[in-house]
This record gives sequence, structure tokens and C-alpha cells, in this order.
Amino acid sequence: MSKQLVYAFFLLLAARTGWGQMPFFRPKSINELGAAQMTTLFQDRMGWIWFGGNGGLFRYDGLEFQSVDLPDTLANDPVTSLMEIEGRLWVGFQSGAIGNLPVNTAFLTAAKDPEENPRSSYILQQWLPEEGTPKFPITGFCSDTSGGLWIATYGEGLYCWKKNRLYQYSVDDGLSGADIYAIACDGQGRIWAATDAGVSICAMPAPGVKSIIRLGTADGLPDEIVSTLLADRRGNIWIGMYDKGLCQYDIRRQAFAYFTPDWPFGQVTGMVFFGSTEIWAATAQHGPIRLVVNNKTHSVSGVYPLQESHVLRHEKIQAMLKDREGLLWVLGHQGDVFSANSRIGLLNIPEDDVQAVCVDQKSARVWIGTPKGLFALENGQRRSILPGLQNILSLWQTPDGQLWAGTFGNGVFVLNSAGKVVRHFSEGDGLTNGSVLSITGDANRVWLATLGGVTEMRLQDFHIKTYIRELGTGYVYKVLADTKGRVWFGTDGDGLVVLENGVFRHFNQAAGQVLKTIYCITEDQRGDIWFSTDKSGLFRFDGASFRQYTVKDHLHSHGINGLSVDGNGYIVLAYEDGVDILTPETGHVAFFDAASGAPAAEANFNSLCRDAEGNVWIGARRGVLRIAAYDEAFVYDPEPNITSVSVFLQPLDFLSKTNFPHDQNYFLFNFTGLWYTNPDLVRYRYRLEGSDHDWVISKEHFASYPNLAPGNYTFFLQASEHGAFEGTPVATYSFTIRPPYWTRWWFIALCLAAAAGALYYFIHARETRFHREATLRRESVESQFAALKSQINPHFLFNSFNTLITIIEENPAIAVAYVEHLSDFYRSIMVYREKDLISLSEEMELVRNFDFLLKKRYEDSFRLNGGVNGHPGYIMPLTLQMLVENAVKHNIISRSKPLTVDIFTEPDGYIVVRNNKQRKIKPEPSTHFGLQSLVNRYTLLGARPVIVEETEDYFTVKVPIISRNEE
Amino acid sequence: MLTAALWLMNSASEFPGAPAVPVASGLPANGVYRCANGRIEFTSKAPLEIIEAKSDRMQGVIDPSNQAFAWLVEVISFEGFNSPLQREHFNENYVETGRYPRATFTGKIIEQIDFGQDGSYAVRAKGKLNIHGTEQERIIKGRLEKKGRKLYISASFTVPLTDHNITIPKIVHQKIAEEIVVIVNAELTYGQ
Repeated sequence: MSKQLVYAFFLLLAARTGWGQMPFFRPKSINELGAAQMTTLFQDRMGWIWFGGNGGLFRYDGLEFQSVDLPDTLANDPVTSLMEIEGRLWVGFQSGAIGNLPVNTAFLTAAKDPEENPRSSYILQQWLPEEGTPKFPITGFCSDTSGGLWIATYGEGLYCWKKNRLYQYSVDDGLSGADIYAIACDGQGRIWAATDAGVSICAMPAPGVKSIIRLGTADGLPDEIVSTLLADRRGNIWIGMYDKGLCQYDIRRQAFAYFTPDWPFGQVTGMVFFGSTEIWAATAQHGPIRLVVNNKTHSVSGVYPLQESHVLRHEKIQAMLKDREGLLWVLGHQGDVFSANSRIGLLNIPEDDVQAVCVDQKSARVWIGTPKGLFALENGQRRSILPGLQNILSLWQTPDGQLWAGTFGNGVFVLNSAGKVVRHFSEGDGLTNGSVLSITGDANRVWLATLGGVTEMRLQDFHIKTYIRELGTGYVYKVLADTKGRVWFGTDGDGLVVLENGVFRHFNQAAGQVLKTIYCITEDQRGDIWFSTDKSGLFRFDGASFRQYTVKDHLHSHGINGLSVDGNGYIVLAYEDGVDILTPETGHVAFFDAASGAPAAEANFNSLCRDAEGNVWIGARRGVLRIAAYDEAFVYDPEPNITSVSVFLQPLDFLSKTNFPHDQNYFLFNFTGLWYTNPDLVRYRYRLEGSDHDWVISKEHFASYPNLAPGNYTFFLQASEHGAFEGTPVATYSFTIRPPYWTRWWFIALCLAAAAGALYYFIHARETRFHREATLRRESVESQFAALKSQINPHFLFNSFNTLITIIEENPAIAVAYVEHLSDFYRSIMVYREKDLISLSEEMELVRNFDFLLKKRYEDSFRLNGGVNGHPGYIMPLTLQMLVENAVKHNIISRSKPLTVDIFTEPDGYIVVRNNKQRKIKPEPSTHFGLQSLVNRYTLLGARPVIVEETEDYFTVKVPIISRNEE
Repeated sequence: MLTAALWLMNSASEFPGAPAVPVASGLPANGVYRCANGRIEFTSKAPLEIIEAKSDRMQGVIDPSNQAFAWLVEVISFEGFNSPLQREHFNENYVETGRYPRATFTGKIIEQIDFGQDGSYAVRAKGKLNIHGTEQERIIKGRLEKKGRKLYISASFTVPLTDHNITIPKIVHQKIAEEIVVIVNAELTYGQ
């Protein structure tokens, strides 16, 4: 909306003829690049300026060049074009190769150390589509409105990369030439290609569908050889040609305009716009040339080459760039780099000391007041106007074009628009004094500030009214009629005075300061009054209160020679050695002097005016400075950029890595504030939230934080060219250092849980053990009891005695042996029952005694085979005996069906008791206590389980043999 | 360009049959390079299946006077596949050989080649690739070697099925790749 208004504003005005003011081109030192010769340059959205050329690709921060590592195959391949498309910098090479890299790239730059050169380890990625890349130099990239990437070559025509497919637009397809100098995208998304035979307007309405429209001399193009193209804000295309200068093609009207019929400067190699009325053209023979255009008549109204003596006047310009700060960059043919602040130009009139300046509101003329008289600058010519050598101090033009010229001592002259004197008023005519320091007025009246009071004159009849006493002093430096009908007076010693509704009002105090001498007064776009003083700086009065601006607010100095407001609302303060531009909304002040690209001029006292376009003109001892009010916004603050983050001096990809372990805690931040206007002035303010309590202000490009504690951190960085950081852009980097794992809640919780678990387990195991021991003891007692019970069981004794009776008579000797065995058997039981374990051989001895007893009873019907053969193992007492007894108890034993019990050990550490199964028809009453008790006791002992196997033929019990250490 | 196109029209009308012989009237006096038994292979690499097929009956002509070329293959001549049924599907359902019997590529070599001297060149061929009756402009990167009266060309490129209106039922997406990789190798001999 506002842009449209600005356009409307400019279209309504007849654009001014330009004047020959020139910016100050400063050479940049690029010594450090050695043999690297630059041929192209580009500024990305982040603010970095990139250079490409024979030596490769470089990123420039205003102070130093940082090279980008290229793949080996491209290491010696000159860079021929650069363009940013969707966050990536596309790089074209001489060989036709193409590469790209993200603009927002984390240069893995090592810590800047005197011994250590900054080195980039970021590698450009080569772009390798299946179709291959061109074999001829890449001269340009462009993106259209529908996702297509266009690539211009010098030799192979145009390529379009769309939906992962590469298409070629060649001469066979209707392209006007294979050598493309430049490409540009117009407002309809079409791609313009500049060739030796006019331009080709290319589009791809559908994948694979090529549309080419050619424009040549037959269509009105002045010159067939088109060497450069540039799209303007309305989407029209500006065309730079080989011989005929430049022109514009209006895509809506489909017509050429803005011709430069008289163009002696040779090939145009580049173009940039400043606002909508100024164009800089780079030429191959005559350096940069400024053009002023009239958008109402669609014509070029002025062409201004550099002065004949200028170092760039005969330079071949390879490339040109306008940066975000409004600097104009040019690359000379040897790769020399120059930059200039195009906003601030100097109209060089060396022999004149310009004390007053006034731009004619209606015609293309600048009035210049000097000690040697009044001059008019018109069409590049300087014309003397006033008769005699009048010393001109002040100039003012009435709304209907009359020029009032105040002199030193000789009153005021009134001239008509043709420059002819129509009236002259001196002291004799009623002026308070003949020296007129300042003139102001409106459609009806004019006010003259003199060294002897103020004179008010009616324009209608030149009726004079004078004020001396009302102002308190006769010395009045400045008078200003504002837009609200008030008249302001800056007096010498009596402060600021305003005449409002016929009443004078004095301001002798403002913002706590005594107001005495007021030098300059101006009114801004809101109607606030700004005035400067001799010693206490600048004041702003909004109708209710005053605000003071001093060097503490970053004014350059208190020696303010002039004050004005430009068409964009910026306050312009003129000093002898430069210009401050103050942003009223933020109070931000930017200073421009020779060191920051403004011409050195030495502004004279109260010698300013504003023209109809809003440009501010400042009369100076070395000419006239012009501060252009382009209808275009520039950046007024350095852009802070964190360039690398290192941990223990090891640079890392900080754009993606933000989380660190506790021992990665030595951080180094490298940064820069992009301020190409004057990089040396940049100061930094930074703070690491989480560590710093306050901002740190530094000139250095790095900040280091050794030994950071675990926690969350955010690094804030601001940059300023003069120390005013409030309201400037902020760069941030947030990261986290994790606490060591042993202090993390989960680890502590885990430890507690583990400890609790261990304690529980310990108690539980202890209880289990107690319980088991108690059970074992009880089982053992029960078992012993059961064994005893069974052995003392009358049945067994009865059987034994019966057997004994039969033997005694037949064979007393054997009977004795029988009794001995029986007695041994009982003694063994008595001895072993107290023990937990006995050796296998002891048990076996017991079983053999038992076997002897059984043999005597059953004779051949019972057989016990096997043994343990001195096995070193142990076993619970009476185990085997009980199993043998069980076998005897539950099976039929007869001569026809003998019972065989086998006892043997197995290699896996079991002792096996096996008998052939011949169950008694009527089972012996059984408590089933014996075997179950055995199983339980072994379980309680923690030994391997007792295995009971019962098959058709055999009943087998396997009892684990316990070794001593197992116990 | 014209020569090659004429040749293509002629040879197309002669099919099926023996290697085409261009009509003399369409040719300049200084002769062309010709090939009747070039090899063309394609591979479809899908998650579930790899399909490969080839033909040794690719025909082509390169006119050294204007760097124009024309290549042609009868689609039915592709052999290989993982089963006869698959080949049948290929011919009947996907590339519709009956309706569109030929695949062609005609155009011009972008790089300037000195046909007077032996040498090996990385070249890009720009032309119209016609498969399944649908034409796409393509740039195909390849290698061209000249040795005496012979030219040897080789190239590898991909053909997205959607480019040529070849539709694959959703169910077989796991078995047929969306992009087919094609490899060509041919030996051309100079003659009138």
C-alpha cells in the first residue's frame, strides 16, 4: 500500500532532472586474496557478500575474505556466476559445472588465532543432473514463479530444470543465440535471455513445452547485442546493450521506452536501481554511470558519467551490486573492488563556497548562493544570476516560484522563475538589517531573519512588519514557518521563540537544559519541531515536551551546522566532517563521513534545503552534498551474525547441534556484524544467558566461555557501528549442556531403586535361607525318625528274627555273622542319623549290611548288583538304604520272580537305584513318606533334583551325588 | 536432423523385417553412420522384484554433417524378463506394443564433434524420446568414440513411466519401478 502511494507520488511529479552529484568510490583492500581475481559478486539474504572469480569462491564480511572449499575437480575452475535461490547459493563455473551450498551455512572456521589461518571446511556440492551439465561458461541463474531453475550458458543457450528434468532451449528451438550474456525473470514469470541477436523471452507453460518469443530491432530494440538485463519492481525488464546504452521493455504495454539515444559510453555490463528514479549502469569502457529517469514520460532525463579525472572513469566494470545498506559496489577489470554510498553524492563546484542552496520546485534548476554571487545550475551548466558579486547567505522559494535571495549586508533580492531580479529590499526599504541569515514563509508572507531582528513581509503588497524587542535580541540565526501556521525563531542568547496566533512565546528551558543560542530549526513529518543549539546538541519538541539528543545518544558531535528532514522522514544533521542520519522512531543515528563512503564536503552553516522529491541538499565549502531520499528502504544497523561456535576450539556445525554432554563445556563464539559501510566501527554487545548477568561490550569478534556448568544457555549478540545497541537486530544461539548422568534424577532414582532392591533381596534371601534350614532340619529329624521307626518296626525285627532262627540251627557261624550285620546295620543307623551327609562308601557299606540281611531272608530271589567303586561323593544318610527297602517293600519277591536292584553311578553325577518292577497285587500300606521326604530334603539342600522315573519294567530313582565343595 | 527423421520414417514403414536401408534420395552424398544391431537393455528395480530385458535390434543413424541422429527399437524385440507371462504383460498391458510398436529417440548432439578424427567424447544428445506413443524432450548424456569408419556410442538414462503415460496398476507397484534404467550400446559404421 505504502509502496503504491510512493509510486503514485512519483508518477504525479514530473521527475526532476538529475544533477551531476557523484558518490565517493572507495577502493577496497583485497590484497589478502593474492592472485585471486574477482569477476562477479553477490549479496545473499543473510547480508553476506560473496565474490567469485579465478581464485574460487569467497565470503566477505567487510574485513576479510573466507574461501569456500571446492571439490577437487572445480578447484581451478573460475567462478562465473552467483545467485541465491531458495536459501542456496548457486555457483556457475567457467567449465559449465554448477554447484550450490546453503546460504545459512555454518562455516566450520577454526578459532581465530594468529598462528592459525581461518579455514573453511564447508564444501560446495556439485550439481550433477542425469542429463549432465553444460560444457560452456555459466552466465546466470534465475528462478521462475513455478519452481523452475533456469541456467544461462555462454555457448549452449538456456537450460531449464523443472520437475527433476533438464531441458535445453537452443537456437534450433528458436532461441535468438547460443551465447547468453544474462538472464532475468519478468513480472509474468518468463525468463529473458540476452543474446547477440536480441532477447528471447522463454517460458515453460507445461513440462517439456517450450515457448520462446524473440525481440529484436524490428520490434524497436535499439541494439541487437543485449549484454545485460534487470527486472524492476513492477516486473518490467531493463535492457543494457552493446552500443546503444539501455532501454526498458514494459511487459503490459509491450513496448520499449527509456531510450538513451546518445550513448558514447560503450557496452553496458550491469545495472542496479536506487529507488524508482535512479539507475546505475556499469560500462565496459567508462566506469559506472548514473542515470535519472522520468517515470511520467518514460524517459531517461539525465546521464551522468564520473568526472574525467576519476579513477573509475575509464574502467571496464565487470560486475556491479547494490547492497542492503545502499552501497554501490563495482568490480573493475583487474578485479579491483570499489564501493560508494550512492545516497550521498557531491555536486562538485570546487571554486564555490556554497552558503545557500535552493532547488527550484518547478524546473530543473539548482540555485547556489556563494560569497561570489548567485548561480543557477541547469543542464550541467552553471549560470551567473545576480548582477554584481553579491555575498549570498540565504535562499528561499515561494510556492509560486519566486526566489528570495538574502545577502550579507545588501538586503534581499526577489527574482522571478526565469532568474530575473524583480525586487530588491535593503535597510532603506524598511528591513531591520541588511544581512539576511535565513528566509522562510508561506503562500502569503515571507519572514527574514537578520542580524538586527526579524522582518515579516506580505507577498501581496510587500507590506513590512518588524520584530526586534519581541525576540529579546536582534540576532536571529534561523526562522521557520511550519505546517501548523506557527513561525519559529532561533535566537542568539534568548532561546527558541515561537509566534503562534500573533503571540510570541519563549522557550528558555528544555528537558532540564537552559536554552540560549539556537542555530537550526526544522519540522519533521509528524509536525515535531527539531532544533539544534550551539553547545547542548539537538532537541525535539512534540508540542508538549522536549527531548534532548547529545553525543551520549550517539550524535557525531554538538557542532551541528545544519538540520533538515528528508522525504522519508529521516532527520539529517550536517557537520563540517560528515552527516548524521537519525531515525526519529528509534533514535538510531548513522554517521557518514569519508571513512564510511560519504564525500568529504565541509557543510556550511544553515545551508540546507529539501527538494520536491524529498532529497536534502547541503551547501558546503567543497560543493553541494545531496542526501538522496530513495523510495526504497535500506538497512541502517550492522547485521549480527554468529559465524562459528567451537567447543574446545573445535568448530562444530552449530546450526544443527545444540545439545552437549557435561564435559563439552568450553565454548568459543566467533561472530561478525555485517556493516560494509564502515566495518572498522562495528562494536559488539553479547550476553550468554545462563552465565553472564550483564551485557559484555567488545570490539573483538569472539567470546569464550571456559568451563560452563550444565544448564540451558542462550547467546545473544548485537552489533552497532557506534555503540547504540538498543533496538538493533539480535542474533541468538541456544544450547544445552547436559548434567553428568550421575546427577540426573533418573540415575539417582535408579540407584535408590537398585539399593532398595538389593536390600530387599538380601533380607528375602536371608529369610528364605532360615526358612529352608529350619525345614531341612525338621525334614531331617522327621526322616531320621521315620527311618528309625521303620527299622525298629516290629515287622522288620520279626522278619529278621525269623530268619535268624532258621539259620541258628543250620549254621551257627552264619547266624553269628547275621547278628553282627544286623548289629552293624543298627549301629550305622544310630551313627549316621545325626549327620547331614555321609560318603557314598559309608552309605554303600550300610546298604551291604542291609543286603546281607535281605539275602539271608530271600536267598536267590533278591539280588543287589553294582556299587559305587570308591566314588568320592557324598549323599544323605540312609538314602540308598531307604530306596532298597522301598523296592523290597513294594515288589513281589519270589523264586520265579526275583527282584533285582541295581545301584550304579552315572557320569553326570547321579547315583541310580533301579529295580525291575513287579508290583504286589495288593499294595503294601504306605505313607509315601519315604520317597517324598527324600525329594524334599534334596531340594532344601539346594542340590540338583532327585529324578524319579517309572516305566513299564523299571522303577528308577536318580539321586544327585554331592561333592564336598558343593555342600 | 531432416536426414535422420526421413530415415526413421522410411525404416518405420519397412518394419517388421530386416535392418532398414535408408532411401538414397533422403541422404546427402557424404554418408552417415548406421547401426542395425545396437544393444538396449532396461532394468526395473522395484522393492520386490528386479526385471531386466534387452534387445539387440536397436537401429540408429548419425549424420556427421549436422550431428543429427535417429534411433529406433521394435519394442516387441525385448527379451529377458522373469517369465514369459511377464513379457506378455509388458507387451500387452504396459507398453501396448500392438498400438505403439516402436520406441524412438531423434535429435541432435549438443557438443561439436570432429568426425574427421578419431577420438572419444563425452556428449549430450538432445532430442525427442518417444515411448508408448508419448514424446518427451530429453537430454541424454553418453559417450561417443570414433575409430576409423566406426562410431561406438554408449549411454545410460532413466525413463519415468509417468512421462510416457505408462500406467501400472497399484497392486504391482512393489514389483515394477517407477523409473526404468536404460543402457544402450551401439556400433555404427560409416556408409552411403
